[in-house]
Amino acid sequence: MTTTEYRVVHPLDDVQEEKCSTDGLGKIRMTRAVRISLGVLRAYLIAMTLMLGYHVLDLSGLLHRAH
Amino acid sequence: MRVMEAEAVNEEKGVVVRGEWQRRIMTFLMVFGPGLIVMEADNDAGAVSTYMQAGGQYGLHLLWLLVVLLPICYFIQEMVARLGIATGKGHAAMIYERFGKWWGRFSLIDLLAVNFLTLITEFAAISLALSALGISPYVSVPGSAVGLTMMVVTGSYLRWERIVIALCLMDLTWFVLAFVVHPQWAMVARNAIRPTVPAGGITSSLVFLVIAIVGTTIAPWQLFFQQSCVAEKRLRFADLKWARLDTLIGAVFTVCVAGAMMLVGNYGFEHKIAFQDPAQLALALGPIAGTFVRNGVLLLMVNAAVLGTTAISLASAWAYGEVQGWEHSLHKKLWEAPGFYATYIACVGAAAAIVLIPHVPLQLVIISVQVFAGLILPSAIIFLQLLLNDRELLGERWVNRPWNNIVNWTIIVVLFALSLLLAAQVILPNLFPK
Repeated sequence: MTTTEYRVVHPLDDVQEEKCSTDGLGKIRMTRAVRISLGVLRAYLIAMTLMLGYHVLDLSGLLHRAH
Repeated sequence: MRVMEAEAVNEEKGVVVRGEWQRRIMTFLMVFGPGLIVMEADNDAGAVSTYMQAGGQYGLHLLWLLVVLLPICYFIQEMVARLGIATGKGHAAMIYERFGKWWGRFSLIDLLAVNFLTLITEFAAISLALSALGISPYVSVPGSAVGLTMMVVTGSYLRWERIVIALCLMDLTWFVLAFVVHPQWAMVARNAIRPTVPAGGITSSLVFLVIAIVGTTIAPWQLFFQQSCVAEKRLRFADLKWARLDTLIGAVFTVCVAGAMMLVGNYGFEHKIAFQDPAQLALALGPIAGTFVRNGVLLLMVNAAVLGTTAISLASAWAYGEVQGWEHSLHKKLWEAPGFYATYIACVGAAAAIVLIPHVPLQLVIISVQVFAGLILPSAIIFLQLLLNDRELLGERWVNRPWNNIVNWTIIVVLFALSLLLAAQVILPNLFPK
């Protein structure tokens, strides 16, 4: 009975593949999904920043002084 | 995997094996690494503290959450590995190239900030744990920083990877500790599969802890780290199935280790030990559970911090190097990639130096980590999800399947909700009963 011999090459020693490249593609196409996702992300970041700002003012005592 | 009959390839490279099974095992061993490292390094000092706190405060009640988080960790990191293999580039570079400078800078600055603050907590843990073992922070902290630098400046990715895998495997000791404290295994099994509300109901601290566990199990730096690591290791298209297995093994191992940490914390809960950090618990456990448990927890805390520090600092150095267009590889010697190594060394050195400043406000650092992580995690995952649907870049072969998208959008919505809940709770502390 014969067994096949294989040579297994480590990725670092192997010939480099041609990967999916962004060359010449520019920015991502603004499909509806991309537009909505980035819009939600912007809204989320604004909401978080406002909440954080409120928290900082609250901790500094400025809000209590105003009452 | 590029496998070919022996006579067809360069005789000097690769390993000759006999038979299909040997070929598969050898191939897997060559690809293995990034998945385990990214997952286990996530069990860093902050995670040890969170999981032990969960066990110490709520016993076994939150074990089920880890089981829920296991597939979530896997799904997210599988996408990262796929994107890394398909493009051969890091996550920061991809965001810059496909979403432009504004989003690129936002992601990078947020990542660098949260990573740096996390590094401070890692060194604080090293200081705390080794102080409990009688070693001065003025020795332990600089010593660790030097050791962590030496690990990466050897000019060999593989050497770094082997050291880090060995450190990951040291976490097997958590299982020994979990057995030594004799939990009730039937209870463990029941709590792992059935969610239960602890006595006292849904309180503010319970909600906070649930969010902290989610936040510590899925961290933003992991996305950047694994993609860069996969690119650094030059994994090939055919390696994807092995990279997936690596990631799955990493996810299962990490969640089991996290469970073991909770069991040790639960031992403290059963003995009504109040503690602020794992080092305090370790010292209190000494007289009850023995020196092995005491020293084991302290040394594993250091191991967790070391793992976290090297992975997080590398995530920063890779991301910054990619965006700056510098050489950014562990294959390079120190003088061949000065900017990349300088970023790593600056992160490690500055975080270590800050911890040595007397009365540094660590609590403020921990809160800042949560705020930044809360900001970056949902956004980083959105970019990941959009990139994995970028047919123009990836083609049909690598993009998400419809079921991937359903799962991932669900995860994103839950993460956004938890993030907003965390913010609401910080601002309105009376949102839930104390």
